[in-house]
Amino acid sequence: MTYLVLIIALVFLLLSIQTTFLRVVFPGDIVPDLILIAAVYCGIHLKKSRGIWVAALIGFFQDCLSGGLLGVNFLSKGLAGLFFCVIKDKIIVQGIIPIGFFIFATSLVDGMIYFLAMTSLLGGQVKGNFLFSSIILFGVCNAVIAPFLFYIFDKVRQWLHRKFPSQVFESI
Amino acid sequence: MFSLVLMTVNARYDKVNLFFESVVVWFVSPAQNFFTSVANSITDVFDHYLFLVEVSNEKDRLLLEMVRLSKKNNELLERNKLLERSSNLTEFAGEDERPFVVAKVIGYDATQWSKVIFINRGTDHNVEKNLSVVTDAGVVGHIIHASLKSSKVLLITDSRSAVDSLFQETRKSGITVGTGEDICEMKFVPTSAKVSVGDKVISSGLGGVFPKGLMVGTVVDIVKQDRELFQDIRVATSVDLSSVEEVVVLLSGQEEG
Repeated sequence: MTYLVLIIALVFLLLSIQTTFLRVVFPGDIVPDLILIAAVYCGIHLKKSRGIWVAALIGFFQDCLSGGLLGVNFLSKGLAGLFFCVIKDKIIVQGIIPIGFFIFATSLVDGMIYFLAMTSLLGGQVKGNFLFSSIILFGVCNAVIAPFLFYIFDKVRQWLHRKFPSQVFESI
Repeated sequence: MFSLVLMTVNARYDKVNLFFESVVVWFVSPAQNFFTSVANSITDVFDHYLFLVEVSNEKDRLLLEMVRLSKKNNELLERNKLLERSSNLTEFAGEDERPFVVAKVIGYDATQWSKVIFINRGTDHNVEKNLSVVTDAGVVGHIIHASLKSSKVLLITDSRSAVDSLFQETRKSGITVGTGEDICEMKFVPTSAKVSVGDKVISSGLGGVFPKGLMVGTVVDIVKQDRELFQDIRVATSVDLSSVEEVVVLLSGQEEG
């Protein structure tokens, strides 16, 4: 129970940073998506299918703190969690380059899901040219941040594992 | 399936405030308050430092010393600035008959794609959906979701935002829409209409959200094409939306501001 409360507290901390600090650090149009990186991390490192549900859940929290269509991030982060949960045993996601590459690819998919959902359900209210011009930069930004964030998540995971031993995560 | 149901419900019944959304916002808003305060403090330190670099060496040395020795003084200065901004806002809002409430910006959108800010006033302060949010410089946006103690404001630069507007001088009308970037576009202005760079754009009062006469922005670019019916007009917002700290919510009823 304590473990669960700590995980939820960490997710809320991440959401708070996403909605406050990041705009100060990245004052331009492009802001990294910490939630997307966390969703991929959960998909890779949580045991069994937990990664899918945790990724989808934090996507839902992100939806609640966004002005976009409710459910878009639930879907995109859930899919990211599902994808990495399924293929984590078949690929190597260690090191700066693989992490950066997978986060970049996931960012592109995340942006496309948002674009498709908004254009199909809200009748083309999103300007495609804006999205396509910024989606690459968004992916690059996430890819640059991701290895550093993965390192922090690893440290937190190891600390949690020492303090509250459990079988939630894959072996460390 | 759940996400598809959520999206469909959200898209079709836009006026429904989902319970979960309010709960999450309620939980996160205190943390947002805290982080915004910390972030503002850090920004202030940087601003002051950079400012000091630009002045003469003597002033630089004295001011740096003052900042270092007198933390209390700095706090008072910040409080004074806050009061000054609040005073400008209340003075501006007080010119209108409508009741209003002053709110502080406590957070930004959790995603890359929407232009939304969070403010620290909600239904407890009579804030409700579709109320206009402004500053003394002009239009900021409108409320799209109100929780107990905080609300979401859709900025006019969001691609789903539209403000019925007119040019202050010529009184020609159009619709100012967001582009998703830091600039807006004015749509449906015929090519025959005379528009120049620097023209002021104000809200027309149509649409029921924004009162008439609020400053929306200034024309910065015009593209006219012979075969097109309408001009492509780019409008810079009158409010610097990337650094707005306090806003005024214009209330709808007869509540006191």
